[in-house]
Amino acid sequence: MSALEETKAEIRVEAAPAKSERAGASVITRVLNLLSSVRFGVTMLMLLVALSMIGMLVMQKQVDKFDLYFAGLTPATRLLFGTLGWFDIYNVWYFNLLLLVLSLNIVLASIDRFPGAFAYVRKPKANAGRTWLKTQEVHDSFNLAADSRDGAVRRIEEAYKAVGLKHSRVTERPGGAAVVFAQRNTWNRLGAYAVHVALLTIFLGGFLTNMFEHNGQMPLAPGDSAAQISETVFNLDDRGLQLGRSSLPLPFEVTCTDIQQKLIRLDGPITADNTIDWLTHIKIKDETGEHTAVVHMNNPHDYRGYRFFQASFINVGRARQINLRASPESGAQPVEVAIPRDGSATLPDGTRIELLSFQPDFTMQGGQITTASGEYNNPAAQLLVRTPDGKQERAFAFAQELPTGAPVGRAVGGYKFRLASFEKVADAHVLSVQKDPGATVFYVGSALLCLTLSMVFFFSHQRFWTLVEPRDGAGFEVTMGASVNRNQVALEDRFKRLKSAITGEPIEVES
Amino acid sequence: MSEVMDTPARITAPKLDAGAWSLRAYLPALIPIVGAFALTLWRIWAGGENFIDDGALMMLALAGYLVGAAFLLTNLYAPSGMAQKIGLWGAGLGYFFNLSSWLIRWVAAHDRELAILQKNGYGPDQMPWVWRYIPFANLYDLSLAFAMGAGLTTMLISGRRSFRFIGALSLPIAALILILARFIGGEFINLPPVLDSYWRPIHVGTASIAYGVALVCFAAAVLYLLKVGTKPESMAIWSSIFSIAVIATIGGQIGRIVLTGNYAASTVFEGSRMSLPFRVIIPYVGPALVAAALLMAGVIFLYARYVFKGDAAARAWGHRLLVGALVAQGLAIVLMAAQIKGGEFGPCPGGSSFTNKCYESAQYEGFGAWMAGEQGMSPDQVKAIPASRLRGTTEEFLSQRGSSLRLSLNANPVEFSAVVTAFAATFFALLFSFRTDKLRAALPSADKLDGLMYRTASVAFAGLAILLITGAIWANESWGRYWGWDSKETGAFVAWLTYGGFLHSRIARGMTGKPSAYFAIVAFLLVIFTYLGVSYLLPGLHSYA
Repeated sequence: MSALEETKAEIRVEAAPAKSERAGASVITRVLNLLSSVRFGVTMLMLLVALSMIGMLVMQKQVDKFDLYFAGLTPATRLLFGTLGWFDIYNVWYFNLLLLVLSLNIVLASIDRFPGAFAYVRKPKANAGRTWLKTQEVHDSFNLAADSRDGAVRRIEEAYKAVGLKHSRVTERPGGAAVVFAQRNTWNRLGAYAVHVALLTIFLGGFLTNMFEHNGQMPLAPGDSAAQISETVFNLDDRGLQLGRSSLPLPFEVTCTDIQQKLIRLDGPITADNTIDWLTHIKIKDETGEHTAVVHMNNPHDYRGYRFFQASFINVGRARQINLRASPESGAQPVEVAIPRDGSATLPDGTRIELLSFQPDFTMQGGQITTASGEYNNPAAQLLVRTPDGKQERAFAFAQELPTGAPVGRAVGGYKFRLASFEKVADAHVLSVQKDPGATVFYVGSALLCLTLSMVFFFSHQRFWTLVEPRDGAGFEVTMGASVNRNQVALEDRFKRLKSAITGEPIEVES
Repeated sequence: MSEVMDTPARITAPKLDAGAWSLRAYLPALIPIVGAFALTLWRIWAGGENFIDDGALMMLALAGYLVGAAFLLTNLYAPSGMAQKIGLWGAGLGYFFNLSSWLIRWVAAHDRELAILQKNGYGPDQMPWVWRYIPFANLYDLSLAFAMGAGLTTMLISGRRSFRFIGALSLPIAALILILARFIGGEFINLPPVLDSYWRPIHVGTASIAYGVALVCFAAAVLYLLKVGTKPESMAIWSSIFSIAVIATIGGQIGRIVLTGNYAASTVFEGSRMSLPFRVIIPYVGPALVAAALLMAGVIFLYARYVFKGDAAARAWGHRLLVGALVAQGLAIVLMAAQIKGGEFGPCPGGSSFTNKCYESAQYEGFGAWMAGEQGMSPDQVKAIPASRLRGTTEEFLSQRGSSLRLSLNANPVEFSAVVTAFAATFFALLFSFRTDKLRAALPSADKLDGLMYRTASVAFAGLAILLITGAIWANESWGRYWGWDSKETGAFVAWLTYGGFLHSRIARGMTGKPSAYFAIVAFLLVIFTYLGVSYLLPGLHSYA
């Protein structure tokens, strides 16, 4: 590589092709030139920024409360935004085309520039003249006393080693001169290309996700089983947003065995702001057998390429377990038993009590037991009491004191029941089930991106040349030059240390 | 150098000297960190009852940053070793208080929930892990951390003598972030369960550092533009456009202040933080803001004449108007802060007023519709309600709960912060036009500024990439998808792309120099939009922060 080529590569600012050159080029060449230009790439990036901003500012149809937003727009705005596809801009054809063109630009620009960058690795510039060295970002010259040229070169090589430049190379020049060259982190020149590979891998992951991902919901209450998920379909027409559902069968069956909600304040509501965690205990059954798992917040469960997440919950208060106080009519000491959701317990005299249902805000409507709200305003348990002699009858246990003579508070099977306490839980948990073949590719691309960005920005390719020329009198004239592709401050530090190591002079301290 | 050197017996690199240089240079950044951790240990040992709280420490941090900025600015105009030293120590103190505030908030959040859990019968083995309480739970926490990232970056960069000027611009912006935090309010919240993940400290911690570095990059870009000859009058045009945009968009309705001449602030229920779309007129603030807007419109016109036609008289008059606009904006802020804090208010006599703290009856219909929507009515159902009934609903609401309505600086933090930021922008535009040549001479070379801009943009780019990746991994663990075009993630993506544009502009034809600096400025504005605008203006899964 000549000094001129080196300078061109160092500046790396792409030059505009000459007019005559442009006129003579074929259309394909011109298109390829455009597609591989960094300037074009920056323009594409800014276009992507603009479209993404539109997607931020115009509410997308999948976002919660889109119907409110849509209703607030004028018909003309709806028509305009709808025609342009702005309510679903990230899936509109021109957005995907833009991503494709940008990917192409990354590939072509990388191909175009890679040979130049690889030349730094393959054929480093080890020779340099005094004039060229003085054009470098950092340079200096001084006189050095030494017995011989070789002695001066050895001293410089030792100084190189002392500042971390282990492998130096000596190039002879006419007139008994020599250049000592060394460099660090040469591979850094290729870092940008590795970043581009990482980005393309991420794009590929995104493409695979977009094409093949399934993500559906699975509401589960204890005892429920499901072998399919339902995916939400968003259809936007003149009437507004229409939500549809499509089902996707799973290659296994999921049964919920228990749900649990860890609350901060046990006497508080089951809302998200009073919750530490939601746990769903599931059993997965397929041809390989039964597998148990617990899915909780930020802790998904993976099975056969499917991931199970906590997505939401049905905000109607239920009891995971009740503590029932049974007071014998005989006036004997009350007995307290714990009954799990849909479970039963047996009293010491053999009376068996089943928990039929739990209502957080007990009320009767048309003779049916139901709840007035989802909150724990008037919690009550409906029980089935089986006496040892085989009789069975329904009974109620309320948390609050009932007025004397209230029909729902009467004794059943020789006991009056009271809800001593209960463990709060939601009616059901909604799991999100995802199958995404693009996620792994995305993760690989992301890891690569982190690695390559660190390579690019936290290291730099530093090059040092020291030209030793015999002086007419005694000693040698030394011209030092150094260049770097980024982080000039670090280069200046090493340059100062190198010069100090050669000359024995102290470093000029900046602060 | 002509002196001939003697050959030393053995060559050694002066590592020790270099090491000593490094340590000494970074002491101002290291001492606050050590001090803040020591103070936190003391807080853990002493308990919270009689210890300074995180809010007070935050205010001390604000004072430290402002003092640091004032002295560093003075040092640019009248170079003095003493001013620089005081400036750096002020900045260091600010950073110390900022970090202390954040760390002590962590301890306080832990103590608070621990007490609740113990009261509810949780045993020691059921206590959540300590990372659950790391102060990255809401916008207040993020603002503390953002300012902290900016403070740390400033202190690290100030290790170089030639870059010590940077605090003159980065510290006032960090102070603005803390002012915003003050308006947001630092009440503790119960952590939403989705945030209880080890990815939160990684993801939000990366955000705070990346945002802080981006802030310093912005400061370097502005000073670079000044250095390479951008006229302060051009900057004043942009700052005036920004200020007019702020005045035109606040007050609950676009153009309201300019059209009606008065400013009305949001209200909250006593004991609540939820901002209501029911506004109360703050006397005299509207006229002051209208005056500021008119003066700045004049500034734009006159400075444009100077920039494009070289009209020196227009420049002189533009400068006078800019001074007037600064005074009017300052007056509006003082009036706002003084009157919002307390006092009674009722309906405006005659429907509206410039001089009374009162609410306009014209908003009754809109507020009634908002209440109907909050009660779960669909837009079509709300539309079907007669206007008289909507007004009646609001009147009924006011008669029953009107006495619980309060004005508060916390009711609309973005609006108040925007007004303060507009004032700061006008202040700096004015400051840069004062002895501009002297200021330019005091700044390092354009190459050095460009190098600083490039290094900080590179770190911000890498930081935002890591932010996006860690966010994607966390989203895939929590929501079952790594990318969903949520407004916050799109905002961070857009800012990242713009930094990508900045890095590539340096090797693209026709984009080097000033255009490259514009990329850095726009990228930071997008970072701010992601940090604030997305949280307050756009719906999404990140609405907590």
